[in-house]
Amino acid sequence: MKLPRRILPVVFVAPAILFLSALLIWPLAQAVILSLQNVRSVGTAGDWVGLANYVEVLTDATFWSSAWLSLLWVVSNALLQTALALFTALALNQTFPGMRIARTWIVLTWIVPTVVVVMIWRWLFSTSGGIVNPLLMQTGITSAPVGFFSTPTTAFATLVFINSWRWFPFIALMMLAGLTRIPGDLYEAARIDGAGAYKRFTRITWPLLAPTLGVLLVIGTLLSFNVFDIIWLLTSGGPAGGTRTLPVLIYETAFKSYRMSEAAAVAVLATVFLMGFAVIATRWLARPPEAR
Amino acid sequence: MRRPPRWNLALGAVLLLLAALVALPFWFVLTGSIKVPAEIIARTPTIVPESFTLQHYAKLLAASDYPVYMLNSLVVATISTAITLILAIPSAYAFFRMSFRGRETLYRAILLAYAFPSIVILIPLFGIFAKLGLIDSRLALVLVNVAFALPFAIWLLRSFFAGIPVEIEEAARLDGGPPFTVLRRIMIPLVAPGIAAVAVFAFVTAWTEYVFASVMILSDAKRTVPVGFSGIIGQYQIDWGLLLAGASLSILPVVILFAFVGRWFVAGLTEGAVK
Repeated sequence: MKLPRRILPVVFVAPAILFLSALLIWPLAQAVILSLQNVRSVGTAGDWVGLANYVEVLTDATFWSSAWLSLLWVVSNALLQTALALFTALALNQTFPGMRIARTWIVLTWIVPTVVVVMIWRWLFSTSGGIVNPLLMQTGITSAPVGFFSTPTTAFATLVFINSWRWFPFIALMMLAGLTRIPGDLYEAARIDGAGAYKRFTRITWPLLAPTLGVLLVIGTLLSFNVFDIIWLLTSGGPAGGTRTLPVLIYETAFKSYRMSEAAAVAVLATVFLMGFAVIATRWLARPPEAR
Repeated sequence: MRRPPRWNLALGAVLLLLAALVALPFWFVLTGSIKVPAEIIARTPTIVPESFTLQHYAKLLAASDYPVYMLNSLVVATISTAITLILAIPSAYAFFRMSFRGRETLYRAILLAYAFPSIVILIPLFGIFAKLGLIDSRLALVLVNVAFALPFAIWLLRSFFAGIPVEIEEAARLDGGPPFTVLRRIMIPLVAPGIAAVAVFAFVTAWTEYVFASVMILSDAKRTVPVGFSGIIGQYQIDWGLLLAGASLSILPVVILFAFVGRWFVAGLTEGAVK
């Protein structure tokens, strides 16, 4: 009886761990090796060049502007999608006719392929035949059509909107978890004590929801950093590099200029940075397990 | 709890706004796909279609490889989901119901895997798959999709397992059931909603994956919907009707799946994810 109890967890956990190691950790190790070599195309052997690729990358202004754009991307997305999600979660936490349907189908934006999301918004935002521009002009908000993808700033802002649109319902559902765990009698008691809606929000909802919001800000940050397909398919990093975040730079360097080793160096730098953030964040998330 | 009328009004307004934000783009796509070309690009867009045609669907199904892409996606997503479940269920069970050395560290490592920037492994994985002869195979996509879905899947199952009273399991074990039987007969039925949630997550992850599918698949006959769809965008001189029909069809399978088990997915996310 003693032996199976020790071995069993290993039998249960090992397949998943081995799988993840083979498909995530092993390629990551390969990326590190690649970044220390000089490889042009995939599969060819390279010579060891030490940290030369890193020096090249770190002295390149493109890397720094990409890193800055990535930071801006992560912060603006985290803020916009968390704000939209909070709004949504508060509304969905109420009881109303059709509540169940609304809760289930709000994630429609997430179950659709990115390519389709991209196509939908390219169509809606386009200057010829689009729907957003006629609407903006008819309501008098703008007098001329807006070129949503034509300048670096508008392209960036439009992408932030589209990406947040895609993810906010997903985040909102997780936020609902935090909200549904706040006991209803807290509100009843506050109401009897004469607390208004604003007070109930600032004194009960907000403090009890804050830990959940923290977790979701972290998840949102990681999700946004990794976004590549939306940006690539809509602007390919342009115009004028205005949407070239780090994942876009990695892809461009590897598959457009065929500089595999430099791309790997950028990738390793990005991973170190992101994992550092994630380690700090999970330390903050980690709680004693509920199991024995 | 009763709400004063002005709160009802505000809630109604917010819900209407949300519904418009989420549903309106899809409404334009679905209705656009059955409009005649002239109405699709009309200067003043029509909310309710004034024309009806199936020409875009007919063209899509007859003149392109779209049905093949759909079949490929269905196969890849279904197998990815099955493997994700086979790997996730026992490991989540072990993580949250058993104690063993290194459990905390491994669990954190799995959380980290969720944060993994997928683009980073694109280059080396391409090299590894090339050596193994997996380039241009649907198996490559299955492997990648499982790797992306697995960390969150394990995490999502956590609270479902944690929510089961220890006594139930103890009783089953005292009755002499071997661990695999206890897991299969007692635990799996109890966490069925969690399994449904994970299945939806894995399926959607595979169904929507674009980057790896676009790099790893070379031949047209093995393309999945996202890649095939983006091919159609480039191939034709922006035929909006065709694109809208393609978009509508690509949404269909996930919408059908979601109609059946979406409720469990939502319950899984709202009750499980942030406990």
